[in-house]
Amino acid sequence: MKQYQIVSWVIIIGLMLLLQPLDRAVEYDRLVLGLQQPTPWFQIAARGAAGETELAVTGVTGVIVGAALGGFREVAATMLWMKTHEYWESGQALQVKALWLMRLVTLLDPHWLEPWRITAWHLAYNLYVETDDPALQSKYLQMGVDCLKEGVSWNPDRYDLYVELGWTYFDKVEDFEEAAKWFEASKFYPHPEYVDRLVGHAYERMPDIPRALDAYDYRLKRDPTDGTAKGATITIRERYLHPWYFMEEGRHDKALELIDTHLLAKPDSTLALHVKGYLAEQAGDTRLAYETWKRAGDGSALDFHAQRRAVELAHELGIPTQDTPQYIYMQRQARTQKRMDGSVPGRDNLKR
Amino acid sequence: MGPATSRCTYRLQNPNHHAACAHGEAVGRCWVIGLAIKTENLSKVYTHDATGRPVGLMDLSLEVEEGQIFGLLGPNGSGKTTTLKLLLGLIFPTSGSGEIFGHPLGSNAYKERIGFLPEGPYFYEHLNGIELLQFYGALFGMGGSQLNARIEELLHLVGMWDRRFIRVRNYSRGMRQRIGAAQALINDPDLLFLDELTSGLDPIGAMEMHKLLMSLRDRGKTLFLCSHLLKDMEPLCDKVIILNQGRQCEMGRVDDLLRVEGQVRLELTGVSEEFAAKLKASADEVMVRDHLTVALFGTQSAALESAQAAAAAGATIAHLGAHQRTLEEVFIAAVGGDE
Amino acid sequence: MLPVIRVARATFHEAWRRRFLNGILVFAILIIGSSWLFAYLQPGAELQMVIDIGLGSIRFFGMLIAVFLGTRLVPDEMERRTIHTILAKPVSRAQFLIGKFAGGAITIAANLILMGLAFYAVFAIKAPAFVAEKPEDALIFQAMYGNIAKAILLSFFEMFLVLGIAVVASVIFTWVLSVITTFVLYFVGQMADLFQQLSDPERGAGLFARIVLGAAYRLLPHFEIFDMREAILQGIYVPWTTLAKTAGQGAAYLIVVLLIGYLVFNEREV
Repeated sequence: MKQYQIVSWVIIIGLMLLLQPLDRAVEYDRLVLGLQQPTPWFQIAARGAAGETELAVTGVTGVIVGAALGGFREVAATMLWMKTHEYWESGQALQVKALWLMRLVTLLDPHWLEPWRITAWHLAYNLYVETDDPALQSKYLQMGVDCLKEGVSWNPDRYDLYVELGWTYFDKVEDFEEAAKWFEASKFYPHPEYVDRLVGHAYERMPDIPRALDAYDYRLKRDPTDGTAKGATITIRERYLHPWYFMEEGRHDKALELIDTHLLAKPDSTLALHVKGYLAEQAGDTRLAYETWKRAGDGSALDFHAQRRAVELAHELGIPTQDTPQYIYMQRQARTQKRMDGSVPGRDNLKR
Repeated sequence: MGPATSRCTYRLQNPNHHAACAHGEAVGRCWVIGLAIKTENLSKVYTHDATGRPVGLMDLSLEVEEGQIFGLLGPNGSGKTTTLKLLLGLIFPTSGSGEIFGHPLGSNAYKERIGFLPEGPYFYEHLNGIELLQFYGALFGMGGSQLNARIEELLHLVGMWDRRFIRVRNYSRGMRQRIGAAQALINDPDLLFLDELTSGLDPIGAMEMHKLLMSLRDRGKTLFLCSHLLKDMEPLCDKVIILNQGRQCEMGRVDDLLRVEGQVRLELTGVSEEFAAKLKASADEVMVRDHLTVALFGTQSAALESAQAAAAAGATIAHLGAHQRTLEEVFIAAVGGDE
Repeated sequence: MLPVIRVARATFHEAWRRRFLNGILVFAILIIGSSWLFAYLQPGAELQMVIDIGLGSIRFFGMLIAVFLGTRLVPDEMERRTIHTILAKPVSRAQFLIGKFAGGAITIAANLILMGLAFYAVFAIKAPAFVAEKPEDALIFQAMYGNIAKAILLSFFEMFLVLGIAVVASVIFTWVLSVITTFVLYFVGQMADLFQQLSDPERGAGLFARIVLGAAYRLLPHFEIFDMREAILQGIYVPWTTLAKTAGQGAAYLIVVLLIGYLVFNEREV
């Protein structure tokens, strides 16, 4: 070997050795800053192998792999997204394929909010109504909620998916504590005004009257001309605040009496029934609570919250009943809550 | 004692010469003539042919003295360009070695002092004549008004001054050749490698180039010419090597190669077949080329006799005199001898 | 130094006139210029779509230009034999190689600057309208101008590295093979992480796999480090020190590549 060759090789080896710590420093920075590509393609492939997505269904696998490797992730995601609509509208047979593809889109471009929203909606709403099996329905609820939670984990700085998740809890699961929690979370980021009111709605349906008032108060401080918030405040103060105070003082009879007078005037009022059911529970009158929740649930087919509470109390009282999907969902939630240590699906177990 | 540059410059460049030329003689008066090029058994084997014979250049040993015009001759594919590339360090020898101005082949040290015109030269197409020469000048570290003056001088010299703004892509072959000569001369080299200098040139252009070569030689430059046109090289070269199939088949001073002692040459035209038969009987050797019949005789009287007989037989005497071979004949004789 | 500069200048002037590369550039600018037209495909994420198409095009077409320019720089000189007159002058092969690379790098830089300016123009004209429709994006949007400039800056280093690999591959292999080699290295380099993950013993990698994959991870260029679209899309501030480290890594690898090229080219017959 000539001298210049020896010198060159020494420099080459020296630089390659220098590259290793430099590489680690750069990787560290990228990890800390969150600059890494969302979902490397081999993880997409791994998820395909696990049955979560299906790469072969589209015939654009090459595009996806290419996009995952380099640029154009959004473009590939957009192409696939259009395909999902096509599949979804082609009937039930293709709905599984469509869901695979939707999952793929969320993996490719997790910062695009629409796929999260639409996928969760398909799961928690559309698939939900296509079956009569409460167990299956509860599973769809779970999937929809999980989908949105993963979406939130990718987009923690934007209000959209917090609200979407809160809304699914509010409207479909009717777990108002969770709903209020996620609505509240979205308030940390720039958000439209209706989100503030949603917080109040969640608390009053729960019901937690003082907190509902706080929420509307917050809204009115920001915009004193907000008619909806003003109206809600007046109604709550008029009808439910006094029963609530009596309850807090332990005068349950008085509280129930007051709410009953309201119910005489408006026997179908969901809000009044929810407050009454809650008051009855606080008074320890399980039978009355059960009857109240049952009355509310029977009165409105969409009052899943009342239906669930009725089922819960029926089990307590030993009354034979039919489990609702929301009941099954909450039961499972209570079981898994013990196992899980607060980690959310999605980003936490995607990243190294 | 004048400044060192007015003395034997070769000594300054080549440490080996130092011992021989200890006097610091003035340029041109140093009696020890330096070697510009020296090779020993220089070989470059590319591959082997079907019979197992190596293809390339084999065992070339040559010495080119400073101030000489050296001709590397041979047909196409005989290894001329390979030799040039070896000397310029573009390719590397399989075995053997060589030196230019005392530096090993391929070293950058001698490249300041050489110029090179490749065969059918190609240059950056987007440049015009001036830009091209500026580019090549800059490679020598030249620049500024000194380079511009040099460029103007060279463009006049090769007859390209009027066409200096034409881009290379629009050049004819002859123009490429001319600008190629100019770029080879940009650094005023002491040793010039020229591959097929006159190819693509019209006769007048070729004559101008030959004149240019002579003037360079008169200035003490060493010229290394490669050509397959043996006839053209004959009047130019001091010394030649003739290559055939990668092997050196003749080498020597041109005068020595061409001279044949004691033979008289008679050239005739319009020779009848009848007389041709007679001529063959009386002459040592008869060669027929187109209309020309060449007969060689051992003695002057025999030649005269035949000349008279030829005139009587109606043939025309084109030439009668001492026999001197052409390089082509030398080459054919050498190759014939090989086989 | 002067020979290097002159070779680089001549290389740039010549490369700049290559029709094929001009074609890629024009096409890239057309796509970048029309990126906002596709924004409606991602409702609610128009900005992201414009950035994806714009920056994706700059990287993709920049890579194409780097590969097809880099793999032709030296072979063209050899085929036209212009290299003979140059190397017969006092120009060392190292100077020649660096000159060719530098000329190519200037060409790439010019191409990237033009594409970057085109993208900036589209972005400055179209983005405010998208943001006006979605005021929540205003904060991210403010960080975007700086981040886009940094992303383009990083793509400079990335493309220089691609160019270096292309030039060196073309010195070692035939043209087709060098193009393939460069492409493969570019794409494999995008997923260098894969090798590290797969060589993890927790995933069941055996000793042999660990050695081979670990070596691949350490030897291959890491192209994914030049990608900072995540920062742009999420409005993350990328500190200059991170950029400097990334550029340093690219530069060190580039020097290694060019040194290998020099070792081969110095012994190569032209």
